[in-house]
Amino acid sequence: MNAGRTTKQGQQINIGKDSAEYQATVSTVTMHPDDMKAVGIHAGGSVRISTEHAAVVFTCVEGKVPIGMIFVPYGPPTCRLMGRDTDGTGMPTSKGWEVDVEAVA
Amino acid sequence: MPEGRKGRTMVLVDIRETPSAKAADIFLQIRPGKDFELATTLRALVKGQHVDAGRVAETGVAVERLQEIVDRMKRARFGVIFFGMGVSMTRGKHMNSAAILSLTAEMNAFTKFVCMPMRGHGNVTGADVVLRWTTGYPFGIDLSRGYPRFNPGEFSTVDLLVRGDNDAALVLGADPGATMPQPGIDHLARIPTIVLDPKVTHTSRLARVHITTAVTGVSARGTAYRMDEIPLPLRPALVSPYPTDEEVIRRIRQAVAAKPAWTPAPATLKGSPYTSDTGRRL
Repeated sequence: MNAGRTTKQGQQINIGKDSAEYQATVSTVTMHPDDMKAVGIHAGGSVRISTEHAAVVFTCVEGKVPIGMIFVPYGPPTCRLMGRDTDGTGMPTSKGWEVDVEAVA
Repeated sequence: MPEGRKGRTMVLVDIRETPSAKAADIFLQIRPGKDFELATTLRALVKGQHVDAGRVAETGVAVERLQEIVDRMKRARFGVIFFGMGVSMTRGKHMNSAAILSLTAEMNAFTKFVCMPMRGHGNVTGADVVLRWTTGYPFGIDLSRGYPRFNPGEFSTVDLLVRGDNDAALVLGADPGATMPQPGIDHLARIPTIVLDPKVTHTSRLARVHITTAVTGVSARGTAYRMDEIPLPLRPALVSPYPTDEEVIRRIRQAVAAKPAWTPAPATLKGSPYTSDTGRRL
């Protein structure tokens, strides 16, 4: 899982993080169509993503990401999944996590 | 550069194809977690050292392609490496950044090269610059001994909050409640947190006190630093009913200064192992 900021998200925070658009942006993950097929997720369906810290349900869409990678814009849902150790750098590991993915019926 | 953008070459390195790829002349899509390997390979090629093509291919980019990039870098009259959080928040962290700093330093044997971290939106660069000229360090600073000490991992925000070291927090122009690891957010909710922000944010909701302030650049004057550390004066266009961040902090400082010092007066230490019988500190 790779969390990052998007330009769209940057525009939305000027409207407010309570807006439905912002909430939708940070609750939507992008996956490669082949990965979605393998896990049995349909476009726009729900997925449960789990790390050792928490499990969060996201909406899943197809997109231009490499096979094996999930992209998600940073936000309150990713805060729950994020690692807390900074390895002495001050930066938490918030990119390149190993996560478990399952389709939610 | 007379040709402007046409006379420059932009190479983008990323693990996924972002909108920046369209703006770039060359896009290198590398495999996730291979930042250190890529930077180290480039360093070897810059020095003309032998590299194993098979192992380089594990980065997702063929060695011939990287050789072309290195040749191009050497031909440049002035090169800049911009690096972002994809380097610092992924496995390797400081090692990835160190490899990029080394590559930049080594390129100066051939041509002028510098590197620059891509700081966040808002005025993150401004905070770096001001802290640097006032304390000598850009972030992660502890002043509790009366002089600045810098130690990321110990004094940096995420570490302090996740460990629960601090028993109060003052948050200025930031929303850690929407970006930090959850245990850090939980700690902010547990302790007295004071937020200065023009808007209601995730952090203001969990704070004990939220002081609404004027928006800098819209209804408050101030200075924002561009990412390349050029200061930009901001003039307000509108009038705000709210005080500026500066005014609130100044008033808090005045109120704090008016209070008695938190350290016990020497007289009350009489008889303690740290004072002499006359109350003089040892």
